[in-house]
Amino acid sequence: MLPPVPAPPPDARSQEAVVLDVRTCGSDGVVLAVEPLAPPPPIRASRFYMLRREDGLSPFIPRPYSIYRQFGSRLEFLVKVMGKGSRALAASRRGERLRLIGPLGNGWPTLDGEGAPWVMLAGGVGLAPFPMGVEQALAGMDGAAPCPADRLHLFFGAANAGQLYDLDRMVDLGVEVRTATMDGSQGRRGTVLDLLNDAWAEGRLPAEVRLLACGPERMLEAVERLADERGLEAHLSLETLMGCGVGICNGCPVPTRPEGALGHWPNAKCCVEGPVFRTADVRLAGSH
Amino acid sequence: MVDLSVRLGPLSLPNPVLSASGTYGHGLEMRHFSPPAHLAAWVSKTVTLRPRPGNPAPRIAETEAGMLNSIGLENKGVDAYVRDVLPQWRDVPTKVVTNIGAESLEDFVEMARRLDGEAAIHAFEVNLSCPNVQGGKLPFATDTKLAHDVIAAVRRATTKPIFAKLSPNVSRISDLAKAVEAGGADGITAVNTLLGMAVDWRTGRPGLATVQGGYSGPGIKPVALRCAWECAKAVSIPVIGCGGIRTADDALEFLVAGCTAVQIGTAAFADPAAPGRLAAEMAELLETRGITRLADIVGTICDGRAVVCAPGHGTGAPGHSSAHGTPAPAGKVPPREGSAD
Repeated sequence: MLPPVPAPPPDARSQEAVVLDVRTCGSDGVVLAVEPLAPPPPIRASRFYMLRREDGLSPFIPRPYSIYRQFGSRLEFLVKVMGKGSRALAASRRGERLRLIGPLGNGWPTLDGEGAPWVMLAGGVGLAPFPMGVEQALAGMDGAAPCPADRLHLFFGAANAGQLYDLDRMVDLGVEVRTATMDGSQGRRGTVLDLLNDAWAEGRLPAEVRLLACGPERMLEAVERLADERGLEAHLSLETLMGCGVGICNGCPVPTRPEGALGHWPNAKCCVEGPVFRTADVRLAGSH
Repeated sequence: MVDLSVRLGPLSLPNPVLSASGTYGHGLEMRHFSPPAHLAAWVSKTVTLRPRPGNPAPRIAETEAGMLNSIGLENKGVDAYVRDVLPQWRDVPTKVVTNIGAESLEDFVEMARRLDGEAAIHAFEVNLSCPNVQGGKLPFATDTKLAHDVIAAVRRATTKPIFAKLSPNVSRISDLAKAVEAGGADGITAVNTLLGMAVDWRTGRPGLATVQGGYSGPGIKPVALRCAWECAKAVSIPVIGCGGIRTADDALEFLVAGCTAVQIGTAAFADPAAPGRLAAEMAELLETRGITRLADIVGTICDGRAVVCAPGHGTGAPGHSSAHGTPAPAGKVPPREGSAD
């Protein structure tokens, strides 16, 4: 038996997708809805696609975007408008075609209802992999028992209220949603880590929880530290720079921990070995 | 039906499309996107004697018309390549070109010796030109004597065909082309990435952790085309064009400029299925011009070296292609700087 050579997932394809609509979301985001030419299978939350306009408006290499919502063959992506690539995608109009490569990556682990509660820590546009994560956990994943709603907690933080994307829709997911903003414009002033510490301090959560996190680098490093200190199971959905998304460019290295499951090599490929990693397997802090 | 076959030195290929090293995996990772037989040969990511963890992140940066990379030849070394990767290539209907890299002549030789007996490998591409190791100094790619000596030493260490991959970061690439030809190369890959960099003026942060890196993608095509053309004029061994090739038009331009084959690289990042489509798209384009044999257009550029020029305009007879070893008629060649004469 050969050790596995990381490869793109067999269900990934490179195809065109038709833009269905683009709606504004928050102060600086859009939700881009597309329909690939071939109907997609149900996508696991926190898997991703590479997206690119092919009319010269997008930069040459595509961008990774987490699947945000799926309704049959309608795929939605939460796009924060930051630079040329995201601006080009946000300017897409109904009927236009995009390059869509995916689904890629591993997605969240089985969000079962058997063990400690799951706490989802979302930072800004890092919200993207969570709504489907909640839905899939409630429905039961991979044959596991459905996760009861009271064992799922979504802690959503951002710089300001305008970046708490689709907050009204998150409240409808049927699980506890708490918010924090750095400027205090909505919810607690502070971070998602403050929300977690509040819940512990007030006895609303047991000491043992399982963490899922997606957000800015510094937030993920803080989650990593916390998980290390408390010995918690934690899964991080990383968004590093990617050149290809399919494992061939080696442009998205994530430093591994020698003692972890990926420790046979100093770097993991974020795109094909992630984007979800256990904190026990990778080391973010000090890697930059 | 267009005959796409070409002869690349000792190799007969069903079409002229190869993957470029470092852009299409090591083994069969990309088979779901491109059926293996659609590429005439798959060129591996560079393999080195010892494992290399590669450079720190960020390793890639966007540019207007391509990308910068500084991967640093991350790979698990030749032992892992032989154990884990080469067995994937058994009974696969395409050729395998293993790209080898090293920081010393001795290591290049050792690599060639170690891999010489591997039946799955059809040829070596000798990476003289990675800009992301050895401080970006490109010692083998910028010194004609070193380039010659490495190729000559590898030549003695293996019976397999060897292609020398050259760098565009030199003043006169034709000198390097002649040096590796004299060293015994069976062909030349022109070219590797251009040295480039990016910086955010607001933060002062470079786009790459190593500050400088290799620039690839459509933005470098004119430079690569000029380099490949210069090489093709200077030598009689075949030249494989590489650099910014994205479409069938791009590929045919390199052939007309004198290349016998092409490699498609960064374009695979924008669409991983693109390499597998390229040969068929080239055939379609040739058909629209009534050209039935792709090899007929090789070297037909109207650059003043021959009277017969331009595909579909002449007799359809092969032009003056130096790749075929046919020198241009002596009396009709105007003297030009940097030419083979």
